[in-house]
Amino acid sequence: MPSWPEKHTYIGAHTRRIDGPAKVSGTARYTSDVQPSGWLYGMILRSKWPKATITSINLEKARKLPGIKAAILVRDCPRTVRYYGEELAAVAGTSKQACLDALRSIEVEARPLPFVVHEEDAKDEGSPRVWDKVANLSKPRLDEHGDVDKAFAECAAVVEGFFTTPVQIHNCLETHGNTISWTEEGLTAWSSTQGITSVRDGLAGNLDVPQSQVRVISEYMGGGFGSKFGPGVEGAVAARLSKEAKAPVKLMLPRFDEALAVGNRPSSFQQLKLGATAEGKLHAFQMDNYGTAGIGSGGVTEGGGGGAEIRMPYIYHVPNIRVRQSGVNVDAGSARAFRAPGHPPASFGMESIMDELAVKLNLDPLELRLRNDPSEVRRKEYRLGAERFGWTEKYRKPGSSPGPIKTGVGCAGATWGGGGHGTHAEAQINPDSSIEFRCGTQDLGTGTYTLIAVVAADLLGLKPEQITVRIGDTRYPPSGGSGGSTTAASVSPAIYDVCMNALQQLQERSSITDARGPNWAAACKKLGVEPLIVSGRWQRGLSSSGAGGVQFAEVRVDTETGFVKVKKITCIQDGGMFVNELTAESQVNGGILMGMGYALYEGRVMDRTSGVVLNPNFETYKLTGLADTPEIDVVLLDMPERGVIGIGEPVTIPTAAAIANAVANALGVRVSSLPITPAKVLAALGKVKPVA
Amino acid sequence: MKAFQFVTATSPERARDLLGNNGRFLGGGIDLLGEMKEYIAQPDTLVDVKAVPDLHRIDQTDKSWSIGANVTVAELEDHPDLKSVFPGLQQAAAEVGSRQIRNVATLGGNLAQHSRCWYYRQRDVHCLKKGGDMCYARHGDNRYHSLFTGTTCISPVVSNLAIALAALNAAVVVQRGPNNLARMSIADLYARAWENPISQNSLDPGDLILRVELPVQNRRSAYLQVSDKSAFDWALVSCASAGGIQGGKLHQARVVLGAIANVPYQVQAANQFLEGKTLDEDNANKAADLMLQGAEPLSDNAYKLPIARALIRRTLLQLKA
Repeated sequence: MPSWPEKHTYIGAHTRRIDGPAKVSGTARYTSDVQPSGWLYGMILRSKWPKATITSINLEKARKLPGIKAAILVRDCPRTVRYYGEELAAVAGTSKQACLDALRSIEVEARPLPFVVHEEDAKDEGSPRVWDKVANLSKPRLDEHGDVDKAFAECAAVVEGFFTTPVQIHNCLETHGNTISWTEEGLTAWSSTQGITSVRDGLAGNLDVPQSQVRVISEYMGGGFGSKFGPGVEGAVAARLSKEAKAPVKLMLPRFDEALAVGNRPSSFQQLKLGATAEGKLHAFQMDNYGTAGIGSGGVTEGGGGGAEIRMPYIYHVPNIRVRQSGVNVDAGSARAFRAPGHPPASFGMESIMDELAVKLNLDPLELRLRNDPSEVRRKEYRLGAERFGWTEKYRKPGSSPGPIKTGVGCAGATWGGGGHGTHAEAQINPDSSIEFRCGTQDLGTGTYTLIAVVAADLLGLKPEQITVRIGDTRYPPSGGSGGSTTAASVSPAIYDVCMNALQQLQERSSITDARGPNWAAACKKLGVEPLIVSGRWQRGLSSSGAGGVQFAEVRVDTETGFVKVKKITCIQDGGMFVNELTAESQVNGGILMGMGYALYEGRVMDRTSGVVLNPNFETYKLTGLADTPEIDVVLLDMPERGVIGIGEPVTIPTAAAIANAVANALGVRVSSLPITPAKVLAALGKVKPVA
Repeated sequence: MKAFQFVTATSPERARDLLGNNGRFLGGGIDLLGEMKEYIAQPDTLVDVKAVPDLHRIDQTDKSWSIGANVTVAELEDHPDLKSVFPGLQQAAAEVGSRQIRNVATLGGNLAQHSRCWYYRQRDVHCLKKGGDMCYARHGDNRYHSLFTGTTCISPVVSNLAIALAALNAAVVVQRGPNNLARMSIADLYARAWENPISQNSLDPGDLILRVELPVQNRRSAYLQVSDKSAFDWALVSCASAGGIQGGKLHQARVVLGAIANVPYQVQAANQFLEGKTLDEDNANKAADLMLQGAEPLSDNAYKLPIARALIRRTLLQLKA
């Protein structure tokens, strides 16, 4: 079995992104920067109705407008639309304005139908059905072991609570979109995607083109978080527009559209009950949960589904459990995988009820975790983190912080699988000693270019800046999608294999026994005029799966205004062998900021009367901003014996739970619904009179 | 957005002439361009008033300040003297949007900005404010809406500056017709929003805010707001207080609340109550009771009451410092 060398130069160090200068200077090419000759704007007309039968769509006026080169129906009429914003038609034209005018000239005849957009409404039998033949609320799926009722009766302490999490929108800073050129020779798509291969396969299947004639390129992209594996309707539409217009079409979605039809994290409504023995050992657990994934669990997903089920009792082992879960359809866009699908809502519910149990048992919540967390790594992380965070000094009995502005602390843990998968890569070593790696992976924004350069430089005895990295093109040897925290664990072993093969072949051809480092140039020179092309593939033994991680939060809550300020987050995160600690820390920072958004600010708001999304912009869909950013303390727990493990997902999982627990610790009462807004804090404190 | 003509005016009179039947003045454009992109506003002509002389000036005397309508919010925030003379106004300016927005947004535009109601701003919802026949917020999601809801439209005034300026007894000078300058109090400037659901203020088409005049009355002032986020967010509730302090007693106090009514909300009885009172928690709380009397919270916004109460007390107590 192959193994990583014990001594490293760059692996595990802090290496700046090799593409940093390109990104900050604007030369890094994103999908919206691509401007092939003769390109057109593409735009989509969306349904104004949350549910309707579309009887006809007339594109004639649009086609005749100056500058319009193509107009298509997304699907033939009559058809039914099931949510506000579902795609109806699309146009391509020479200017943005021409397209906007064209969209407004399209005549749509529709028969509005009754709709339902709120989960609480949709689960009632009497509500309009999203799908005629299926009840909105699915039959609960039961997961039960042990004698739960008997076990609860045996418990020394039992707590119950109702916990809710909202539908969260991915809102990648770069919106979904593609620039596509479809000619007789085939189809080229510059795509904002985390899976060039899955986009290629999606386009090929959708448009009936051989996969060999579809090329997908993603040099740089601005975030996917699980929502950008497939070409989407917008990708297929861009391709069809390109074919009709006989010109490349750039179709990037406006921010508005991101709230409607390109995925989200399902909501959850968790009725929880947890019991423990007098010794504080978890003994019985029960959950009834429902949530919505929109009109149905949907979209292309990887690294977890887009369904509404959550994994409970999350990281804990409880001998007696009864878990019942349902999905509820509403007339809203489908869910997609979203950074650690199913985990953040599970973490929020479970870690919240754990803290409630700690209160009831009169135990420090950290102690309750140490007694019950089955993971030795996480228990170690809790001890280490508590020390660093100053848990013992900071923890007080809930609500006992003096004065109107109260401080509180909380903690929570995470788990994630990850792991590597089949990846191919190749290198071309030139006689002038330059070397180029090619791999059909993509940089989701996490630093994959740098990761490849670091691994190669380390193994070949070179510097990262000497390595040319080419990724994000389906013409390179295939890798998989960047999802489920798998990229580092997939790509690093393949690069390892290429390097080992390269050294062996280079040494053979040059007769230099060790071609690394100082001998590299001399060895390459001996290649003469023929470059060395070597390939390699993912190997077992260099990566593994299974990361934990714990986070501690300290908050300050103004009990007169309800305002929550996160002061500090401490994160102890195990991986395996960290390839680049700098980009890994960057991942942690991003995960925590996203987790903060889930805790305090985010949530899709649907209007019951009109069926529209009320916050399809960053003005009212609130994201963590610079001024909200707390002190973040990151400790990466290097465990090189495990090989490479991705951490993109676990780092966002426990943040919201830790913050919610800190808020409850500050207040002495719990806000059991995310996001924790001033309104909810004041309500929990009993300062808001119910409105008649 | 709909195609439009773009013209530049060099005087207030010329600006009016260029406006035509369906034109709009363009200052910083922060609010107007957003409305145009959503087809909420569809002017034929945009008259750029950024080049009009004198609208970008701040004139100070011992008795009063005059601040031109084109002065940016960032310039108010950064002004070296304004911070000591009118701290409430400076604090209100510093809370507007983001620094990038403040660099472009103007005093005039901030005062004249339209509703942020998320139904009004939603392109496919035709609400009362857009000439439709129902207010979606009243029985919908009204977490950001008014507490004083006797009006037909319940979208609150969101101009931070208006709240601070009302507390400071500012007057707004408006070009209204040729050779006709109207001088309005902040209350006048918004009075029509109370009566007419379509209006967000009392300006007629063609009215152009020229400047704001602020008396220097040896008064202290303070402004605070609470938002969901730490910065770059609208106020859930905002509050400005101003008054003079002599011998430890408050005189000519004015307390104004924002984001809880469709006008900057002032209550004469509260101001009167504070006259000659010692600035302490008890009196501040009593003023808050008077301010909030008659509030009629909706299904989702009763939380604004405790916030308003806290902000009234805190801004008043800040006057002591």
